[in-house]
Amino acid sequence: MAQAGKGRLNYRCPSCFMRDLDIDMFYDAAKGEYYCIRCQYTGTEEDVLEKNQMARFRYRFLTRRFTMDEFEKFD
Amino acid sequence: MEEFILNIIHRPEMVPEYAEKVTGHGQAEDLGRKALLTESLDIFKIQQDAAHRNGLKTTIQMTYASLFNDEAVALAKADHQRYGDEIGLTLLGLPCKEFREKYKTKDFCIWMFDMDMKKSVVDDVFGKFYERFGFYPESTGSYYMDAALINYIKETYPMVKCAVATCWEEGPKAYHTCNNSWYTFMDGGPWAPWIPSKVNTHAPAANESEDSGIVAIPHLSRDLMACYDGNGSNFGTHPQNVLRGMLYTPGRFDEEGRYSGQTYPYLYNLIDQYRYQAKFNNGYAYNMQFVGPGWMNKMGRWEAPYELLKASYDDGCAYYGRLKKEGKLIDMTMSEFADYYRGKKRYTEPECALWRDLIYGSDKQLFWYCDPYMRACVNMDQGGAIVDLRPYAAKLEWEIGIGTPHVQECAYPFLIQEKYRAGYFTHYAGEGTVRSAKICHKGEEVDLCLCRTKAHFSEPTPGCRKLTLDPVDIVFQDLTVKLQTVITFQEGSSDIQIERHVLEMSDPDAEVTINEYMVACYGVTEYPEDMTCITLSAKKGGEENTLAYAYKCRDYSLAQADEVAAVIPPIKTRVSLEAEGRDKEGYYKEGYAFSPMFTLGYNGTLKEKEVFRTWLKLARAD
Repeated sequence: MAQAGKGRLNYRCPSCFMRDLDIDMFYDAAKGEYYCIRCQYTGTEEDVLEKNQMARFRYRFLTRRFTMDEFEKFD
Repeated sequence: MEEFILNIIHRPEMVPEYAEKVTGHGQAEDLGRKALLTESLDIFKIQQDAAHRNGLKTTIQMTYASLFNDEAVALAKADHQRYGDEIGLTLLGLPCKEFREKYKTKDFCIWMFDMDMKKSVVDDVFGKFYERFGFYPESTGSYYMDAALINYIKETYPMVKCAVATCWEEGPKAYHTCNNSWYTFMDGGPWAPWIPSKVNTHAPAANESEDSGIVAIPHLSRDLMACYDGNGSNFGTHPQNVLRGMLYTPGRFDEEGRYSGQTYPYLYNLIDQYRYQAKFNNGYAYNMQFVGPGWMNKMGRWEAPYELLKASYDDGCAYYGRLKKEGKLIDMTMSEFADYYRGKKRYTEPECALWRDLIYGSDKQLFWYCDPYMRACVNMDQGGAIVDLRPYAAKLEWEIGIGTPHVQECAYPFLIQEKYRAGYFTHYAGEGTVRSAKICHKGEEVDLCLCRTKAHFSEPTPGCRKLTLDPVDIVFQDLTVKLQTVITFQEGSSDIQIERHVLEMSDPDAEVTINEYMVACYGVTEYPEDMTCITLSAKKGGEENTLAYAYKCRDYSLAQADEVAAVIPPIKTRVSLEAEGRDKEGYYKEGYAFSPMFTLGYNGTLKEKEVFRTWLKLARAD
């Protein structure tokens, strides 16, 4: 089996990203999967992209645009 | 009139910190690789173009590597001529073939070298700069500039007046995010420009004799809430940081390969909340944008394609450019800003920030205060508790670099740090660092840390910054107390005054007791330090009781105490509490091995319309 390499982009491990760890994953061409060298996550490119969206659950203001008079206004 | 100042800085970093690792995977290390050099310079050109297209001038900080590159030098000269960009010199970007061959090291952080090496590198880089441009730079910088380094540069190259000198709250959090591989430990500094003291860069100078001679600016303007809590590299005025944190909504490629539709309201909210800080700082606010080329490499970064990396930089510059066109922003070079800042600020004038959550969807609010004597964070989500405290009054000497006790560690030590050494909440045992109060009645006890509120800033008299919190209701079984906290920072005093006003009680004749307390320790990371060096004391008139800390869980109370205090020799700090109020009784508490803290406090009693007042005082111990 040949050595792993980097994929098309430096995809981060979704499981580690959720715990504020940025770790690039490596790509196993033989199995067609990315894998994390620190934890046990493995997944396809599609799965990585989908799972990395999970980090956004905490960003409830992701699409909110504040006006200047809202910085001291609270609901 | 309010003024929002912007510094945009670009560096032609011929071997970007990240690009070599990322683009070079699968190849043996070769810092002279032509493709890498070409790509790096292309990114610099793209960044310069984005700023200029939006009518913004920049400070070009030449790197050591770029001084060996004729094209980079020519580009800097041309942009200086055409756009008025300043040509400065950064101490970042040292890695290159020439540096490695000359210095035989892979170290690249100037503050980590031993002092002789720092001097050699500075002289080499400044000399090379003079050779290429015929003058010495007026601005310089790195991620961190230790005091000895700044002093040497100022002494040898007195024309230097501005430097990038720290990266706000880049420390253990960034280290952890990088799987414990990124050794930049520089917590505890100012978030906005300041004049560093000669003995400790993070501690601002209190007067001319302490003045290091430069104006320092932070590396990026960082989110004063998200960055304190999480990975700093996700929350700053750095469009690619925002992508790294996934704080955007992605666009898409069309059939012809063009990328569009991306949005990042968070980036604009962050910039605008910084603009808003003019309200608390005599009409002045500041932003800094400094994106290294590695963040825009052709391979893409953090799941983001190159097209998005580039577009986000354009969009960030376009927003700043729009503010400028609307007369809401003044772009300056670093040396222009240094002159502006010295004309604008007094030494003792604090930097204040009233900051709200911009991204998580909460109503959480913090207040940050920084002056030559302290940096403090007040958390309104915890009833106005002080959750971070750095005693700059000690002006702690802290040598940094190989050959000193601190090879990498640059942080200014804390007395209170709620993230590293717990705050109000601990797991079943022990205490965490926080300055708060408990209100007690008939065996019930309520800590103000659980009374969420909001604050309003005012300057009722010259030099007085007052934070008035919305009143909170403290509900006991047979009594409700409406209590208001007022926190006052008096310029030049090194004191924090906290008043608790009992506005109303459901039973006007009732009485409650108050326990004003500060749980503290010292350190720069999450891990405990040796506490046996600490001496606790309580004093009244000529009577003084002292205790040498020995983890024995002892305590002592003194009725009508004038002060209770702790002396912490490793950080040369003396911290004390004084109080004014009915039935006041000062106390100190020693901690124990599972709770390596100390507590200073005052008990007292309060009735309706009464006030209990305390002062937290910081001083150098020797």
